Amino acid sequence: MVPVEWYLLLAAGVFCIGLFGVLTRRNALYFLMSVELMMNAANINFVAFALYYGDLTGQVFSLFVIALAAAEVAIGIGIILVMYRNFGVTDVTVPTEMRW
Amino acid sequence: MELTFGILVDPLSALMLVIVTLIALLVHVFSLGYMNDEGETGLPRYYAGLGLFTASMLGFVVADNLLMAFMFFELVGLCSYLLIGFHFREPGPPSAAKKAFLVTRFGDYFFLVGVVAVFATFGTAQFAGPESFPALAEAGEVVWTPGGLALDTRFTIVGLLVLGGVVGKSAQFPLHTWLPDAMEGPTPVSALIHAATMVAAGVYLVARMYGFYALSPTALAVIAFVGGFTALFAATMGVVKDELKQVLAYSTISQYGYMMLALGAGGYVAAVFHLTTHAFFKALLFLGAGSVIIAMHHNEDMWDMGGLKDKLPVTYYTFLAGSLALAGIFPFAGFWSKDEVLYEALVHAPGEPLLFGGYLMGLLAVPVTAFYTFRMVFLTFHGEPRTETARDPESVRWNVKGPLTVLGALAVVTGVINMVPVQKVLGIEGIDLLHRWLDNEWSGIEGLSSHHYADIGPYSSQYLVGGEVGTVLAGAAVSLGLALAGLGLAWRLYGVPSPTEHTAKLGGIKDVLYNNYYLDELQVWLAYRTEDVAGVADTFDQGIVDGVVNGVSSVSLFGGSRVRRIQTGVVSQYAALLTLGLVALILVLGVTGGWFL
Repeated sequence: MVPVEWYLLLAAGVFCIGLFGVLTRRNALYFLMSVELMMNAANINFVAFALYYGDLTGQVFSLFVIALAAAEVAIGIGIILVMYRNFGVTDVTVPTEMRW
Repeated sequence: MELTFGILVDPLSALMLVIVTLIALLVHVFSLGYMNDEGETGLPRYYAGLGLFTASMLGFVVADNLLMAFMFFELVGLCSYLLIGFHFREPGPPSAAKKAFLVTRFGDYFFLVGVVAVFATFGTAQFAGPESFPALAEAGEVVWTPGGLALDTRFTIVGLLVLGGVVGKSAQFPLHTWLPDAMEGPTPVSALIHAATMVAAGVYLVARMYGFYALSPTALAVIAFVGGFTALFAATMGVVKDELKQVLAYSTISQYGYMMLALGAGGYVAAVFHLTTHAFFKALLFLGAGSVIIAMHHNEDMWDMGGLKDKLPVTYYTFLAGSLALAGIFPFAGFWSKDEVLYEALVHAPGEPLLFGGYLMGLLAVPVTAFYTFRMVFLTFHGEPRTETARDPESVRWNVKGPLTVLGALAVVTGVINMVPVQKVLGIEGIDLLHRWLDNEWSGIEGLSSHHYADIGPYSSQYLVGGEVGTVLAGAAVSLGLALAGLGLAWRLYGVPSPTEHTAKLGGIKDVLYNNYYLDELQVWLAYRTEDVAGVADTFDQGIVDGVVNGVSSVSLFGGSRVRRIQTGVVSQYAALLTLGLVALILVLGVTGGWFL
């Protein structure tokens, strides 16, 4: 059996890729995709520990996270559409109306 | 030590509850005629003030410990301030309101120190029960006494400190100056607050903790002397006043002097009796004056009135009943109570010079009271009308006449609740109802009875002439004779169709009386002497106290204006900050958790 540390390393890697995407990209759609990566990194962790402990709770949780991610994408796309309608761009650094 | 709120209902507070609620009700009804029908504005503020006042007074009456009593005492003073200054756009009322507040506050300062002293001495401020401070004082159990002071000296000091609040609130000399000015408030307010209930708070407080005062002969003697002096002092000033409400204001001060005299003379029941009858007839007189003021289109000068008897019959007859009661004419309510006050002072006076002095001054005030009362009645209602308004006064409605009628009836008959002289002279048992009521005849709390107070008090009765019955008769005859003499003099001087001012005959005394013995000027002068202290206090307040508060707000403002700049509106930067924060958190946890070792 593959040791649990490998799964954790994989999850950490995927998470860091997602985080890198959030920090460097300007396009809001890339944001959504990066967040998706980070969530799936968490899912990998859940499933890995479920396997490790022989307990199904983690797997159930990851199913919830997937459902949640679907909802989040729906809302995220909605926000992006509104932003595009109002500012004409999908660049997240352009709308700064909410600053001090 | 526990600080608690509680309710204490015993015969004394039950009686007071009846008085306060009854008069408050009648005054509210009267206000419909005096304020609503006269088209006043700001009525919600007015009725809110009346309601708040009634609530505070009831809270004070049922308070079961001194601290709670103090709080409601202050609230009552606040309501007085709000209502005196009701017409705040005119120059007079706000100034009078400030004066009333400051002068009573001056007395309350001593009261506050007294409350602390009671807590420090006994560890409790309860009024009733075996663990109450009067009971502990009686048993001589104190938790702390400074510098090995003798117990009775200590009790006297504490008692006199609390008395400071009483003197302020019940308008006793030398803190009486606020009450005549308080007549700037609307007349129903004067009736409710400055005659019947709030001013009664001081006397009620002494009665409430009478078990404590009874232990200190010095405090009692001071109370009696101040009371007797105030009774005479205020009565003399009432003689020369031209305004209806001013006369009533001085008579109020004078009558509260009688109550204090009774309390100081060991006449606990007599004081409560006079408190009751006075509440009724003085509320009546003030409401009657209010009715006259409506009729006279808010002119209060008695020299502009005259002949109102036929135009305002209801007002006249009720006002007359109240005046007879105030002057102490048989058989009106005031006769019985004032007679009992003087009787108590007389039989306890031998061997007590201060008390005897108080009694003499109280006796001297009787003809003066009758004189100024009937001077007022004759000038207002009798003779020829002296102005056009008095010839054709405005009529009043049921909401004015109704309260007057109720109070008029009470001013006539309230004496029957305590017919002690009749009982003593004729030997009919069982008509001294108030004595029995306050002696826990029907119910009550152990240790809070007139009997108990008489037992622990310092006085013993001595009858001067012809035993008890002879003294009763002689005392009543003397006070009634003096009252009739005063009434007769008023009739002779002012009971004529066109009365003239006779005050000029008093010469220089008139000016002194008219200017209230220059006490207001003296108090203002004294107040100005404190300017330096006030200046330092102001510097401290503005510089240190306000400085700290303002400093905190300046730092917050400046800090906020700098820190808010990190909120740039660019979400990528927020994400970066979040990540940085997470990394920092992990690092801190790692270092403190020992991961890197």
